[in-house]
Amino acid sequence: MQEPSVVHSTFVIERSYPKPPERVFAAFADAAKKRRWFAESGSHDVEEFALDFRVGGAERLRYRFKEGTPFKGIVVMHEGTHQDIVTNRRVVTASTMTLGEKCISASLVTVELLATDNGTDLICTHQGAFFEGSDGPQIREAGWRHLFEQLAKELT
Amino acid sequence: MAKPKVNIDRVFHALGDPTRRAMLDKLSEGPLSVSRLAAPLEITLTAVVQHLQVLEESGLVHTEKAGRVRTCRIETAGFSALEQWINDHRSLWEQRLDRLGDLLAEPEGGE
Repeated sequence: MQEPSVVHSTFVIERSYPKPPERVFAAFADAAKKRRWFAESGSHDVEEFALDFRVGGAERLRYRFKEGTPFKGIVVMHEGTHQDIVTNRRVVTASTMTLGEKCISASLVTVELLATDNGTDLICTHQGAFFEGSDGPQIREAGWRHLFEQLAKELT
Repeated sequence: MAKPKVNIDRVFHALGDPTRRAMLDKLSEGPLSVSRLAAPLEITLTAVVQHLQVLEESGLVHTEKAGRVRTCRIETAGFSALEQWINDHRSLWEQRLDRLGDLLAEPEGGE
């Protein structure tokens, strides 16, 4: 009997920021601002980031894991499309993530901004479909060898 | 029905040994009996069996005994845990939202 090849996972992260919703929303709408918190990280180098902030507009992020990480050299591609935008209230984005050559997940991310006395409460709901084991032989041949080589270099 | 839970620390421990990595490398080409897996390695059969136990406990390898022959193969559950670890979306987003907080804390004004 076949087994399911998709794992579904939803998580919610909440934050409170001492700034009004307009400031928080601007960090989503402006590409230069969004790049700084969404794209940039200490563990990877950003190779491409593009943002077309409108319903139907695309968001693309491509990055490569750095030296000193177990997955040095591996490229991750995140491609999304904005599904719904309500100014200063919410941004909803549907996206896929590709690791090397393999598409590994599809996600719906809903960010809601709620005005409070102290600033803004942000609620991030991430609904993900993770594709594992759907191409076993491919994992063994391509993905496994690649990751294995990277890990081996890190662990020696 | 659900795949076995894999402990990511066990996976990294399993991968931390060069002999085990060599065994995985060989098995990635296809299943092998223990004796054929052990042949090119310059260690005792006992040592090979011990390594296989670590690999099996980490979820990276599956072994089955049929008669007198034990056959080993790569188990994708261990690999899937690696994928999930790499793509731990939750901590990725936690870090992003922390960085957003840092950005918002900067004084307003030009870029």
